[in-house]
Amino acid sequence: MAAETALIDVGILFAAVALAGLIAARINQSVIPFYIVVGMLLSPYVLGTVDFPALLGVDLIPHGSALALNGESEFIHLGAELGIVFLLFFLGLEFNLDRLLAAKHRIGKAGTIDLVINFGIGLVLGWILFGDFLAAFILAGIVYISSSAIITKSLIDMGWIANDEANPMLGTLVYEDLFIAVYLAVLSALIIGGGDISEALGSISIAMAFILVLLLVVYFGTAWFQRSLETDSNEFIVLRALGILVLISGAALALGVSEAVAAFFVGMAFSSTDHVHDLEQLLEPVRDTFAAVFFFWIGLETNPQLFIDVALLIAIAVVLTGPAKLISGYWGGRVYRLDERRSLRVGLGMTTRGEFSLIIASIAMLGAGTTLAEGTANQLYAFSVGYVLFMSILGTTLMQYSSQIESVVVPRLEGKSTSPQPSDD
Amino acid sequence: MTIYESDLPGVGKKYEIELESDERLVIVTHNTGKREIFKKDMQGADSEKIFELPDRLARKVGTILEGAYFQPVQSKRVETMLADETFIEWYSLSPESTLVGKPLKESNVREETGVSIVAIQREGELVSAPGPDTVLEGGDTLVVVGDRDDCRAFESLVSGTNE
Repeated sequence: MAAETALIDVGILFAAVALAGLIAARINQSVIPFYIVVGMLLSPYVLGTVDFPALLGVDLIPHGSALALNGESEFIHLGAELGIVFLLFFLGLEFNLDRLLAAKHRIGKAGTIDLVINFGIGLVLGWILFGDFLAAFILAGIVYISSSAIITKSLIDMGWIANDEANPMLGTLVYEDLFIAVYLAVLSALIIGGGDISEALGSISIAMAFILVLLLVVYFGTAWFQRSLETDSNEFIVLRALGILVLISGAALALGVSEAVAAFFVGMAFSSTDHVHDLEQLLEPVRDTFAAVFFFWIGLETNPQLFIDVALLIAIAVVLTGPAKLISGYWGGRVYRLDERRSLRVGLGMTTRGEFSLIIASIAMLGAGTTLAEGTANQLYAFSVGYVLFMSILGTTLMQYSSQIESVVVPRLEGKSTSPQPSDD
Repeated sequence: MTIYESDLPGVGKKYEIELESDERLVIVTHNTGKREIFKKDMQGADSEKIFELPDRLARKVGTILEGAYFQPVQSKRVETMLADETFIEWYSLSPESTLVGKPLKESNVREETGVSIVAIQREGELVSAPGPDTVLEGGDTLVVVGDRDDCRAFESLVSGTNE
């Protein structure tokens, strides 16, 4: 009986997520906010509190909390964790150090502008609001990191991928992704490490040592990673890749190091083998499946009522960090010597926040009650869900209406900046 | 001609090809193998998507563009297609053929095979509009119009194998 219930829960999960994706595609929006919202709707906080069958006058189907899905359920929780692992694995897989070094001047410059402005604003805002370093550090990460998944997909859908603005956007995303790998390692060390500084430093050094070991494995293990997937069978490639990826990520988590960071490095290790193409093709559907579970889970865990408490916080963050990304994106575009119009587009596109902000929030929740005050952790979590919902829809909408925005904004920009921006590389 | 190549992290690669005039062809090769082909009116212009191809088709089209795909076999006769199923064909009239020595009106070519003889080439000269009284000679090259089956029927008639 219990098994039956669990299977139907999983069925409801996937059916709901599929429906959400359908609706999002119909109205030309990014799928991520829809996955989250449908998760929220099916959560104990919404579906669990409304007595639908009573409204319909039917007693046959269960109602109340019996009908709602539970975020604590083993499968959904594990699925969400796998979603994080796959998202970061792909990040590592597509992250090529040689490429980054080849364009290091421009990517470095545009990426640093992006980091200083957005992370800086997040730190200051977090400190003012919470008066706590860890909370400020978390908030900074949440508002800093743009969404690789949504932005890349929008670029392809809008056909901008063939335009000049694609280069600074993707370049900056690569910079952010590298930063976030290190950031997650430090963050999870701080969260798990405990309150006082020496303990935190201790766990940071364990995390750094772990990264160093992984880097060495990546550097010296290429031949092994290459050989590990030498087979003609798709089945074996998938199984071996999962065996290596999930095992290492799981081991990292068991050692108290972020599984996301471990997955990123496993991805990087595979990125220098000949199997990248196969892995991307075979594992992309797996990633998308579990990433959907992750977003759904985020929704399930979110009590929409908490939005009321953090509404002001979200509003302040949107007002400050939306324009901040616009400015840093625009500036980054100018570093790439793009004209005003294309630089503006870079800004419009980079506004989108998504999956990584949520990953940061879910890691922050681990520290609730220990390193982070319970209330602060809940606030940060609700904040980041609301913030991502808003910014992901805002970002995709800004891209869709870019031509209208350009026609208004570009003449003013051209009027102001008559002297060309400096650029050297 | 200059080709600009750039990486699109997480997507694939982009090739931008300068065409004659100011136009540029942009080819985005996705990691999945999909190719998207765009056109730009000039360097800074917006890209306009023309079409996209899956990996295998893109490779095939590529070899055709390269000129390496077709290795035409030397054909015994020239064959030109007029419309969907109508051909203009050239046949050389064998001396053994029953048609030799007959004027066109007696040959019953149109009734028997369905093709029309529209021209005759004889010793370097062209009889461009053969009339009913034009007499066919061995060695003539006959230019005919007809569909595939008609042409095949006519082929056996001119070669003299069909009594």
